[in-house]
Amino acid sequence: MISLFLDTSSVTYTIALIKNDNIIYEKNGESYNRLSDIILSEIDSALKNANLSIQDIDRLYVVNGPGSFTGIRIGLTFAKIVAYALKKELVLLSKLEMLATIENSQEIIVPLIDARRGYVYGAIYDKNGNNLLKDQYIYLDELYDLCKKYDDVVYVSEENIEKLSTIRPKFDIIRLIKRHNEVVSNVHTCKPNYLKKTEAEEKNDKRN
Amino acid sequence: MDTYILSIESSCDETSMAIVKNGCIDIATVVLSQMNTHANYGGVVPEIASRMHVESITIVLEELLTKAGMTIDKIDAIAVTYGPGLIGSLLIGLTAAKTLAYIYKKPLVPVHHIAGHIYANNLNKKMEFPLIALVVSGGHTELVYMKEHYSFKKIGGTLDDAVGEAYDKVARVLDLSYPGGPVIDNLASTGTDQYDLPIPLNDHSFNFSFSGLKSAVINLKHNEEQRGNMVNKNNLATSFQNRVIEILSKKTMNALKEYQVNNLIIAGGVSANKGLRNKMDKLCEENNINLSYPDFKYCTDNATMIGAAGYYAYKLGRRADLNLKAEATCNLE
Repeated sequence: MISLFLDTSSVTYTIALIKNDNIIYEKNGESYNRLSDIILSEIDSALKNANLSIQDIDRLYVVNGPGSFTGIRIGLTFAKIVAYALKKELVLLSKLEMLATIENSQEIIVPLIDARRGYVYGAIYDKNGNNLLKDQYIYLDELYDLCKKYDDVVYVSEENIEKLSTIRPKFDIIRLIKRHNEVVSNVHTCKPNYLKKTEAEEKNDKRN
Repeated sequence: MDTYILSIESSCDETSMAIVKNGCIDIATVVLSQMNTHANYGGVVPEIASRMHVESITIVLEELLTKAGMTIDKIDAIAVTYGPGLIGSLLIGLTAAKTLAYIYKKPLVPVHHIAGHIYANNLNKKMEFPLIALVVSGGHTELVYMKEHYSFKKIGGTLDDAVGEAYDKVARVLDLSYPGGPVIDNLASTGTDQYDLPIPLNDHSFNFSFSGLKSAVINLKHNEEQRGNMVNKNNLATSFQNRVIEILSKKTMNALKEYQVNNLIIAGGVSANKGLRNKMDKLCEENNINLSYPDFKYCTDNATMIGAAGYYAYKLGRRADLNLKAEATCNLE
């Protein structure tokens, strides 16, 4: 089986091709705010590099959030169109779980994405990928308090998080995708997992 | 040989796809409008629009292919709106178009949104040249001179608010529903022109300005209320709409005269305005101008018009590669 892995949820994107549990191509690149301009060409060069065409792909693994709203929409739009038009399998993945899937880790891993104004997208995973606190938009101090009951905690983030010492992730894509076999049954209803309402919706909620 | 264009439009709050034959025949069109959602907020919320586009993108594609009874391999090219528009919204249609062009190895044809609005007029009867196009919508107010197919010369445009935007803002001030255009148009058909409002940017240029007129409406209502008077909404809507139509029609007729053109097309959402249509019908009849509007269903944003414009762009060899950028603002060329 050949799979295409795609993460466009942050300023660095990851494209990987996996053949029978082996990575045959992987690129981590910087998009410099031009993700939409480059991503199709980057996917094309990945496939060409591996002597494959998009038709050869059996399954798409796509990170659908949380992270950059625009970024995840671009990745998911690509994936939905391919999955629908070419009838390919689609598996959605969490960026936080991806951040938490690192080699030689401590017992407890807390992946973090800065969500500004003191908030983060965060979760708690153990080193086997079990989710102890589900992915959420949470006040950093509150998440920190929730982690106090664990002894051996490591915070992982792609960016600097204020007041907290974090390590940079080193993704273990194979370990991550091996845990996930949930092929989406209806491509049409796949959505990004923003974990946060829009400001307009929040204001409306407050008013009502 | 027939040419089939699959077109995608997502520049604002409509997710739309169409298949158009030879730039003039609507084989199938699907428009998924988000208007009811945005009505809750009194206007289009960009982030909500982007979210809804990604949710509906494959649903619209499937419905299109079912309606057309066609498969994508029979399509000659994929045309897409690359701008102007809301960047987050544009990116969904653009990514979908690039992905389809990539997996089916079809040419990708970039289409300017305003070119689309103009070519909505090619869907009823063939456009005749040279022509002047007045494009009026929630996002645009432009006068364009076209010597021949796909040759665009912008001769004027709004310096601030688009005309449809001014309607929406005035509607909000008068506590009317969104979108403001149809509501004000209806009120204006029953009111009398009672209020003293200025004719905005009443000069010899082909440019427009509507923010001053909008402010005049706001101030007038405020002053009346200070004096303990209620404004008559019907009459204020009438005065507002009359000024808008007066300046739009005056500058359009001036443009026809200056460019010695007797073909006029009016396009965009505001071209559905009854007051504007009545005035332009009358003026064009008096001056022997050949006037055309799109069908009502092609006035607001739709992909059919992008497919019509895309056909001519395709025939001219216009192509984009997979690096095509979405542009929030861009010139019509």
